[in-house]
Amino acid sequence: MSWAPQTRQTPVGKWLRNPVATGYTGMALGVFAAFLGIPPFTSRTATWSLIVGIIAIMCGIATVTRGRKRLGLGAIATGIGGIGLGYLATRSSVDNLNIVFNASLIAQTFAFATPLVFAAIGGMFSERSGVVNIGLEGMMLMGAFWGVWGADVGGSWVVGLLVGMAIGAVLALVYAVFAIHLRADQIVGGTAVNFLALGITGYFFFQLYHGNYVSQGVSTIPNIKLPWISGLHFLGPAIGNLNLMIWVSFMLVIASYIVVFKTPIGLRIRACGEHPRAADTVGINVYAVRYGAVVLSGVLAAAGGVYLSDGFGGGTFNDNMTAGRGFIALAAMIFGNWRPAGAFAAALLFGFSSAIALRLQVYSPSASTLFNVLPYVLTLIAVAGVIGRTVAPAADGKPYRKQ
Amino acid sequence: MADELVLEMRGIRKEFPGTVANDDVDLDVRRGEVHALLGENGAGKSTLMNILYGLYRADAGEILLNGRRVEFASARDAIGAGIGMVHQHFMLIPVMTVAENIVLGVEPRKGFLLDERTAEKRVRELSERFSLAVDPTALVSDITVGQEQRVEILKALYRGADILILDEPTAVLTPQEAHELFEIIRSLQADGKSIIFISHKLKEVLEIADRITVLRRGKKIETVQRAGATEASLARAMVGREVLLRVEKAPAQPGDVLLSVEDLHVHDERGIEKVRGVSFDVRAGEIVGIAGVDGNGQTELIDAITGLMKSEAGAVKVAGRELREASARKMLDAGVGHIPEDRQRRGLVLEFSIAENIALHDYSKPPDSKWGWLFPARLVERAGRIIREFDVRGGGPLSAAGGLSGGNQQKVVVAREIARDPKVLIAAQPTRGLDVGAIEYLHRRIVSERDEGRAILLISLELEEIMSLSDRILVLYEGEIVGEHTPDVSEQEIGLEMLGGRERPAA
Repeated sequence: MSWAPQTRQTPVGKWLRNPVATGYTGMALGVFAAFLGIPPFTSRTATWSLIVGIIAIMCGIATVTRGRKRLGLGAIATGIGGIGLGYLATRSSVDNLNIVFNASLIAQTFAFATPLVFAAIGGMFSERSGVVNIGLEGMMLMGAFWGVWGADVGGSWVVGLLVGMAIGAVLALVYAVFAIHLRADQIVGGTAVNFLALGITGYFFFQLYHGNYVSQGVSTIPNIKLPWISGLHFLGPAIGNLNLMIWVSFMLVIASYIVVFKTPIGLRIRACGEHPRAADTVGINVYAVRYGAVVLSGVLAAAGGVYLSDGFGGGTFNDNMTAGRGFIALAAMIFGNWRPAGAFAAALLFGFSSAIALRLQVYSPSASTLFNVLPYVLTLIAVAGVIGRTVAPAADGKPYRKQ
Repeated sequence: MADELVLEMRGIRKEFPGTVANDDVDLDVRRGEVHALLGENGAGKSTLMNILYGLYRADAGEILLNGRRVEFASARDAIGAGIGMVHQHFMLIPVMTVAENIVLGVEPRKGFLLDERTAEKRVRELSERFSLAVDPTALVSDITVGQEQRVEILKALYRGADILILDEPTAVLTPQEAHELFEIIRSLQADGKSIIFISHKLKEVLEIADRITVLRRGKKIETVQRAGATEASLARAMVGREVLLRVEKAPAQPGDVLLSVEDLHVHDERGIEKVRGVSFDVRAGEIVGIAGVDGNGQTELIDAITGLMKSEAGAVKVAGRELREASARKMLDAGVGHIPEDRQRRGLVLEFSIAENIALHDYSKPPDSKWGWLFPARLVERAGRIIREFDVRGGGPLSAAGGLSGGNQQKVVVAREIARDPKVLIAAQPTRGLDVGAIEYLHRRIVSERDEGRAILLISLELEEIMSLSDRILVLYEGEIVGEHTPDVSEQEIGLEMLGGRERPAA
């Protein structure tokens, strides 16, 4: 900047002066402090966590004094949390730690995160176009049931996936008619979709499968075995044998980023979510864009559901199988600030906490339940604006009335 | 200039439930002409233009473009035919860049991707060609209102507009910015573009237009050449009767200080300091006008004085008494009347009846209520009296306030405030969006309230209103009073101060 005195700056000096950089570094260090106590590091004294955590807190203080109060406080909090968790880890035996924290934890994190990724990306499309979609849960549930049914009846997981996505699209279309054309309250409409899906899947599950497990041997979505990786020491169990849908979800994140931020259609979707009248006056069909985005959100949420039942679940279904995952996906989308990469990161974090919760069940069911609450706590923190406020599209949730 | 007609609208008729918005309206526009469309609010200007722009469909009549009959089913059709519109409320997306806003809907592509570089290049070329200086990569939320308007014009030009509709383009501009806009309009005109200039301001119409078409109550009254038209003749055509354009008032007889603001500091809800140490007095029997561009702290200043917002520091005294921890209720009780800047959102409860709206301040006291029991009959009786006194038309005490016209809604607000006999009256944009007749009434009323001995603080974005009503003028810029003047100051001088005492550097 021209008005600043031109002094020679080392990269480190520059970095120290930038409160955003120090803030995020502080947070990263805080998280790292917690990890020091667990495999693969497995430090047996709390000293290392303490040192790293204190550096994190110092970064936080530097950030606060340079004006970014919220970010700095966040870094200080993660630093303190990191020291605490690091200390707790040293109190536990190495054997226990090795059972909870191993390479397959990464694989499991992806497995838990993937349904969230699909639904969160779907929700992002819908909300970017200006329609709040809390019906993700229901659309996911429909995908989960009809996906297994399709795989069972059609004899192939491909059929299951297509059927599940198609049903998701139909349910989303019904919701879109209410939310867009009839201008119904979107929260009420979305809630109705969730209960509708619960009722429909429950009824047909009883009618078709007598409420029992779907018959054995349903074609399931296959895992992708990477021969050149699966033999490796750490990477093998981590990513050597992941489900096809997990890889698809990675690609979905990249593709949706490009679509939303780099293509004309993405520009139009965002325009409809920010200022539909402006979009209308330049000849964009706001209704068409919103219908498209909502239906796409249904397709994606349902794909997440199919993965849940026919991939992750190994071809089973049970009543209310999604159990709130649609809402967690919504939370991930908000936590990720309506951005694909952000939503993906949040979904991974939530997936990680689910994976941890599953493992902790062996030791302490109560602690495990606590971990399941983590996504909601984090979302509350995000919405309250501790780490930079999340900003929804300006016209999100507001029905558009053509003049 | 050739007299070639580029646009003819013949016998346009449009009905809405209950009203005829356009009744057999004709309009023709020549190539390279600035054609003003003049009329009061509700005269049918916007309806006519929305029909031309494809947003409404006419019930009858036809549109001829370059001699050929056209039908527009949507804005897209109109844009395709070379018609561009700059709406009164800008249609821009704050979180997107200037270039993104301009190319939205007709994006240059590279494969299936958006070609941002080409978009920026084309916008830059266009802005140079028509000397519409804007930075294509800037976010719209970061640019000034004047620049936003240029972006809107560029948006239309980018789509190849030959006919440009400008809907009340100067409503949001400072005098300097308006002057720049007129320069832009002239350069567009020189390029062969035709401009339809919608306005209800007589002065600027006479300055910029070649021909003027006057609408009144949905009907075309006349189309005249600028030469020969006067403010008085146009006002008569617009309103249908002789209008007193100048505010008649005797010199002020200032008395005691009734409102005193001392070193007031106010933060907005995001914690940004919007009022930075403002001090002034308003005496009984004088009108003090605060001029300034929108967003320079006017709203926060009013809200702090009326107790709607907390101030960080400073004092507000009413009739010598300092009000600490003021609330809106305390301020009302201390004798401060408030005509809020947005009558529909803050002045009235639109769903309530006129009687209920009038009782909003005193509902909890006798005679309106006693022991927590409301007496609706008394409310209605009082409202009836006030409606007669203030000549509110279009409804009785029990009709919903939302059903009244803008001018009559404002009369209800003003009547409610004045009927309480306040010592201090704060009028924030009292005539915003009102037509000439209603403005005339309100201005006269404000002056007569001054003569009753009230202290009046007038805040307005319309410099003309400030200049014609005020006995003293303060200029507010970025939360500070940067000038104080008597009303014989020139518009240019105040205009400069409104921009911080210097010309805005060309962006």
